[in-house]
Amino acid sequence: MTRPTHPPRPDEDRREFSEEAASLWRITFAPVVWAGHFVLCYGIVSLACIRGLMPIAATRAGLVAISVAALVAIGWLGWRSFRQWDTAPDRAANVGETEGRHAFLGHAAFLLSIISAIGVVFVTLPLLLIGDCR
Amino acid sequence: MTDRANDAIPEPAGPYPPTEAMLSEPVDPDVAEAQARRLRKAWETPKGFRYITAVNNTEVGRWYASTALVFMLLAGIMALLIRLQLAVPENDLISADRFNQLFTMHGSAMMFLFAVPMFEAISILLLPAFLGARDLPFPRLSAYGYWCFLIGGIFVLGSILFDAAPRAGWFMYPPLATEDEGPGSDIWLLGLSFIEVASIAAAVELIVGALKCRPPGMRVNVMPLYAWYVLVVGGMILFAFPPLIAGDFLFELQRSFDWPFFDPDRGGDPMLWQHLFWIFGHPEVYIIFLPSIAVAAMIVPTVARRPIVGYSWIVLSAVGTGFLSFGLWVHHMFTTGLPSISLGFFSAASEAVVIPTGIQLFAFLVTLLAGKARMTLPMLWVAGALAIFTMGGLTGVMLALAPFNFQAHDSYFVVAHLHYTLFGGMIFPIIGGIYYFFPFIQKKMLSERLGRGAFWLIFTGFNVTFLPMHLAGLWGMPRRIFVYPTGYGWDLPNLISSCGAFVIAAGFAVFVFDVFRPKRNQPQIPRNPWDGGTLEWSHDVPEENWGVRSIPYVTTRYPLWQQPKLVERMDAGRFYLPDAEEQTRETLVTSVIDARPTHITRVTGPAWITIVAAIFTGGAFILPTFHWYAPAIASGVLAIAAIIYWLWTATARPPARPAKHAGLGLTLPTYASGPDSVGWWAVWITMLGDATAFASLVFGFFFYWTVQPDFPPDGALHANAGLLALAVAGLGAGWAATLGARKLNRAARRGAAMAALAAGIAVSAIGIAAMLGAVWALEPATHVYPAILWALAVWFVAHSGVGIIMQGYCLAGILFRKVTPDYDADLWNVSLYWHFLILTVVVTGAVMGLAPGVL
Ligand code: HEM
Ligand SMILES: [Cu+2]
Repeated sequence: MTRPTHPPRPDEDRREFSEEAASLWRITFAPVVWAGHFVLCYGIVSLACIRGLMPIAATRAGLVAISVAALVAIGWLGWRSFRQWDTAPDRAANVGETEGRHAFLGHAAFLLSIISAIGVVFVTLPLLLIGDCR
Repeated sequence: MTDRANDAIPEPAGPYPPTEAMLSEPVDPDVAEAQARRLRKAWETPKGFRYITAVNNTEVGRWYASTALVFMLLAGIMALLIRLQLAVPENDLISADRFNQLFTMHGSAMMFLFAVPMFEAISILLLPAFLGARDLPFPRLSAYGYWCFLIGGIFVLGSILFDAAPRAGWFMYPPLATEDEGPGSDIWLLGLSFIEVASIAAAVELIVGALKCRPPGMRVNVMPLYAWYVLVVGGMILFAFPPLIAGDFLFELQRSFDWPFFDPDRGGDPMLWQHLFWIFGHPEVYIIFLPSIAVAAMIVPTVARRPIVGYSWIVLSAVGTGFLSFGLWVHHMFTTGLPSISLGFFSAASEAVVIPTGIQLFAFLVTLLAGKARMTLPMLWVAGALAIFTMGGLTGVMLALAPFNFQAHDSYFVVAHLHYTLFGGMIFPIIGGIYYFFPFIQKKMLSERLGRGAFWLIFTGFNVTFLPMHLAGLWGMPRRIFVYPTGYGWDLPNLISSCGAFVIAAGFAVFVFDVFRPKRNQPQIPRNPWDGGTLEWSHDVPEENWGVRSIPYVTTRYPLWQQPKLVERMDAGRFYLPDAEEQTRETLVTSVIDARPTHITRVTGPAWITIVAAIFTGGAFILPTFHWYAPAIASGVLAIAAIIYWLWTATARPPARPAKHAGLGLTLPTYASGPDSVGWWAVWITMLGDATAFASLVFGFFFYWTVQPDFPPDGALHANAGLLALAVAGLGAGWAATLGARKLNRAARRGAAMAALAAGIAVSAIGIAAMLGAVWALEPATHVYPAILWALAVWFVAHSGVGIIMQGYCLAGILFRKVTPDYDADLWNVSLYWHFLILTVVVTGAVMGLAPGVL
C-alpha cells in the first residue's frame, strides 16, 4: 500500500470508505455477533419459559448450536483481522502512515474478537449448566 | 435517475500532505499580525449582558461544568441530611416523606444532573483542544443543550423546596411511582426527559466533532484516546437513553391519561418499566465511568512521561466495555422471578465485562511502571480512583452472582458498592482531571497544598463513610429506610458512616474553595505546566478565544513531544486556516478515517435564539407537570418556530465564495452536502437514537405478547386495516416525493422540485389523518392492547408531522433560494430523515396491522 500524495478529493470520505470500510466497521463486527447471540439467547429462552412456545430442552440444544455458530463467525472475523494486523509491513514504526492505521484497525478488531468469543462462551454456560425454567 | 455531479462545488486543490520544506518556510510577521487581528475579532466573546449569548465551547463548557458542580453540591447536601437522620437509631429529625424525597433527589440529581452532564461539559470544554480544532461543529447546539440542562435542573431540584419532589427512588418503579399522588413523579419524568434530550444533543455534537473535526493527518489510530472514549460513550448514549425516553413516554401517558401500560389490572405490566429503565440504567453507569477513565488516560502518559502502553488494547477495552455493558441490565432485577437461565445470561455477561475493564486499568499500570512516574497532584487523585474503583469492582463481581445478590439486594451493601464504583470511577478521576486541566481551562494553577488536603479528607472520609455500609448491609439493613430500631448491631456502623460523611464534606469544601477563590494575584502560568504531549497544551496564555492560531498537521499521538517546532509553527500561523478574511467563524472538516481535509465549514456565533428555543422547549416539558396542556402546546409550537428560525438563518446558507485558501497552498470548498457535510452526520446520528426509542416501543408490544397468555385479548377491537394501509401508503408517497424533490432540484428543475414537495406534504397529511382514523375507535384507557396501539400511532403521527415541517422548510428554501441546485444540503438532510421515517412507518404498519392476525 502506498501513501497517497494526491490532493484531497471532494469524495474523499466515500473513497476511504470503500478502501477501509471493511476495516472500520470490522472492529465492531465481532461484538455485534456477541450482541446478536445474546439477544437471541435471552429472547428465545423467554419465549420457551414464559410464553411456553417450545420445550426448554430442545431450546437449550438449539441455542448451544447457535453459540457454536457465533463462535465460528467470530473466529473467522478474528482470523481475518489477525492477518490484517500481522501482515502490515513494519507496523510499529509508522503510526502516522496508512500502513499504521491499517494495522491498528486489524489489531483492534482482532482483540475485540477475542473478547467477544469469551463473552459468547460465558453466556453459553447457563445453557449448559441450568436444566429447566425455574 | 442518478444525481448530477455538482460542478459548482470545486474540488480541493493544492499539495497535501505538506512537505517539511513548506512547513519550515517562515511567515511574514506583518501578515501574521494582521491575520491574528482578524481571527481575534471573529472569535470575540460578547461582553456585558450579552455574555450569555456566547456559544464558544470554552464558555459553554465552563458554564456547563460549574452548573453540574453546583448541582452535585446540592445533591451532596441532601446526602448529609440523609446521614444526619440515620446517625442514630429511632431518630425523628426528618419525616418519612421528606426522607423519601431526599434520597430520590440525591440519587437522581447525582446521576442525571451531575455525572452525565459533567461528561458533556468536560468534553465540550476539552475535545476541540485535544483535536486542535477551533470549536465543535455546532456551537449553538451545545449552548441550547446547556440552557435546557440549566432550566430542567433548576426545575427538578427546586421541587424539593416546595415539598413536591419525586419520592419513589431514582428508578421510579411503578406502581409506587405511577400511583403516587402529587406532581413528584411527573416532575421527575418530564424534567429529566428534557435533560435527556440535552444529553443526546451533546452526544451528536461530540461524535461528529471526533469524527469530522480532527486536524489534517490525525488518523483514527493517532487520535487521543479521549476521542475514542467520546465515540464509544456517545454511541452508548444513543442506544441507552432512548429506551428510557420511550419508557418515560409510556409512563407519562399513564400518569396523564390513565393508559394502563404498567397496571396489571388492565393487562399492563410494571416489569416493562424495569426493563426499559435498566436497559438505560446499566449502560448509564458505564457512560459515567468511561469518560472519567478517559480523563485518566490523558493524565497517565504525562505523569509517566511516555506514550501510553497498549493504545489498541485500550481502544479494545473501551469498545468492548461499551458493547458488553448492554448485556447486564437484568442484574438489577435478579429478584423479580425471571427464569434462572435468563438470570444466568446476565450474570455471565456481568462477569465478562470485568475483562475489558481490567485491561484498561492494567494498561495504565504498565504505562506508569514503564515510565518515570511522579506522584503529582492529579496523579494522586487517579491513584485514589484506581484503589477505590477496584474495591467497588470486587463487590460488583460478588453482586453479579445471582445467589449472593438474592441476599444482598436492596441492602446497604448495594449502597456501599455503588458509591465505591461512582466515587472511584467518577468523582476521583474527575477531580484529578480538574486539577490537571485547570491551567488549561482558567489559565491559573490550583493550590498543591489545598489539593493534597482535599484529597486526604475525601479519601479518608469516603472510606470511613462507605466501608461500614458493607457490614450494615450484610447485617441486614435495607436501603431507603428512614429510621431503624436499635439492637440489630446497626447503630455503630451508621454512626461511623455519618461522621465520615462530614469529613467528605469538609474535603469538598476545601476543593471548592480552591476552585473558586480569586486568583488575580497569581503570576502568569507556564504554557505547559505538566509537560504534556497532546495538543491542548499548545493553548495560548493569556487566553485567546480562537481555539488554535492555526490548525496543525498532526501525524503522531503526542505531537508536542514528537513533532519538533509544532507549537512555534502553530503560533506563527504556518498551518491551516491562519486567517479569517471575512471575519466569520470557520473550522476545518476532515475525512473520517485518515483526516484528509475536505472542506471549510462556517461555525455559528453568539445568539439569543438558542436561549429562546431552550426556554420554550422547557415550557413544553415543564407545563404539563401542572396539567396546563394548552400553554404547553403553545410553548412547544413556539419552540419549533424558534428552532426553524435558527436553522434557517444560520445553517447551510449558500456561501459567498465557493472555495477558499486554507493555507499551505491548499484550496478547499466552503460548502458540502450529503455525507460529506457535518449536518448530514448529525441527522444520521440523531435518527439512530430516535430509531432506538422506537424499537423500545415495539419491544414493549412484544413484551406484552410474551408475558401474557391473552395478548391481544380475544374479541379485542383492532386497528382499522384499510385506514392503516392508507396511512402507510400516504407516508410512502411522501417519502418518494421528498427523494424525487432532491433529485429534481439537483437537475435544476426547481419548479418540479417544489411541486413534488407540495404534493409530498398533501399525501403525508392524508397519511396522518388515516392513522388517526385507524385507531380512533379504540379506547386506550380500557386495556393495554388499545393503549399500545395508540402509543404507536402517536409516535407515528408526531414523526410524520416533523417530516411535513421539513418538507415545508425545503419548499421555502427552494422558493427563497436558500436551497439551490448546487447548495442542497437541507434536501439531503431531510431525505435522510425521511429514510428513517419510512422505516418507522412500515414497522408500525406491520406491528399494528399484521401482528393481531399472526400472533
Ligand atoms: C457526600 C457523598 C455522598 C454521600 C454521603 C452519599 C450517601 C448516600 C446514602 C446514605 C444513600 C442511601 C440512601 C438510602 O438508601 O436511604 C445514597 C444513595 C444513592 N447515592 Fe449517594 N452519597 C454520596 C455521593 C454520591 C455520588 C457522588 C453519587 C453519584 C454520582 C451518588 C449516587 C447515589 C445513588 C444513585 C443512590 C441511590 C438512590 C436511591 O436509592 O434511589 N451518591 N447516597
Ligand atoms: Cu448494573
